[in-house]
Amino acid sequence: MQCKDIELVLEQEGIEPLPEEARAHLAECAGCRNYVADLTSLVDVANKLPAEIAPPDRVWVSLRAQLEAEGIIRQAPPVAAQPASWWQSIHAFFSNRVLATATVGIVIVAAAVFLIRSEGPARKTPQPTETARQNPIVAPVTPSSHAQSKGAPAPAPSTFTAPAEFASTAQALNDQEPLATGLIVSSNSPIDASLRENLKKVNEFIADCEHHLKEQPQDELTREYLSAAYQQKAELLSAIIERGRSIN
Amino acid sequence: MPTAAEPPNKVGTTQSPRLATEAEAIRLAQGGDAAAFEQLYQLHSRRVYALCLRMVGNPSDAEDLMQEAFLQLFRKIGTFRGESAFSTWLHRMTVNVVLMRLRKKSLPAASLEETTEPDEETGGPRKDIGAPDLRLSGAVDRVNLERSIEKLPPGYRTVFVLHDVQGFEHNEIAGIMGCSVGNSKSQLHKARTRLRELLQEDLRDQARAERHAAKTQAGLGD
Repeated sequence: MQCKDIELVLEQEGIEPLPEEARAHLAECAGCRNYVADLTSLVDVANKLPAEIAPPDRVWVSLRAQLEAEGIIRQAPPVAAQPASWWQSIHAFFSNRVLATATVGIVIVAAAVFLIRSEGPARKTPQPTETARQNPIVAPVTPSSHAQSKGAPAPAPSTFTAPAEFASTAQALNDQEPLATGLIVSSNSPIDASLRENLKKVNEFIADCEHHLKEQPQDELTREYLSAAYQQKAELLSAIIERGRSIN
Repeated sequence: MPTAAEPPNKVGTTQSPRLATEAEAIRLAQGGDAAAFEQLYQLHSRRVYALCLRMVGNPSDAEDLMQEAFLQLFRKIGTFRGESAFSTWLHRMTVNVVLMRLRKKSLPAASLEETTEPDEETGGPRKDIGAPDLRLSGAVDRVNLERSIEKLPPGYRTVFVLHDVQGFEHNEIAGIMGCSVGNSKSQLHKARTRLRELLQEDLRDQARAERHAAKTQAGLGD
């Protein structure tokens, strides 16, 4: 057996086990012996590399949203009706975003009307903005909205003053925001576009809530929404920073 | 060869705790069941992500490619009849998506015909016979191997990762890559040989850098 035959054996049979003839050649040929030892060594290390690496959870979240948007995942059929407790009924009612939005709208308008009547005609009725009406909870943006979000302007932190009890939270989040957005600012990935778009919507919602609270400092419902929005912003920034660091 | 209910070999393969079998999950997913899609994703995502990551070397691109591969797969899941293993089908989809992306990025073309320079005397690849002894044994670690894998042409890289890292057999790789078993074997051998060369180049560079550093040190001492 010659050196070129060793090549053929290694190609067709793999490194181990080598046939008797090949082993006899290796015993005589230092070049081929080193060659086989090197290949064995690198294959041993390759076998020890992890065959599985956990992807970030956001990939499934984004994939699922896309599958739902395309109608590939169908909603589960309704479970057989069971008597629900009053708390479950309320929870189910508020888990419907449209109903919750409408309810919040009615409460805000009712409060405004009450204030107008009690304080006289001089006071202007504060109206929740369109964003606040549409986004009591900011909906996740799926990659399908990537096309619209690509041209979206960079999200800006709230320009309104945060209520006193939220001031330090708002300040901390606003300090983190340039760092986070800077990490993914030039990425065209659908996931990054989706994160940017979500951040933009959260910022708009926070601005609406802050504006509304400035007008009506006693509005507890808006205060709760604002608190939830800050939390959502913190989670978003954390996700952006984690992703940005993995990119860079 | 794994069956539809049995994902491929190698240590650490994820098993589903929820549905009885992968086949059951596939059947339910064909009916649009959300939990079944999630189970299939959870069952295979780690393996697919590892493949994408080694192919593109960038977590962000790997995430996008994995999502694209699963999306294409789930769009077509209604057509899956179980003639091949589900994991083979998924990996074929993934490899296609990755190689397509690499072609678009104008990286060195992925080819099943990539060649190494033959040794003029023996007709086989060069083995650096007569060159300074650069035995890799003991000098290869995970870090420099991963770095060298990234330098392989995409076709070689795919076969090497699938066989030597992920533990697929040649007949499975042939199914994934759409080539013959012989071609898969040939590609794997060329990939290993090329890796050896790359690792040896690394060793030479290291030795050169050490000599340079020693000379600089000596110059400073004088």
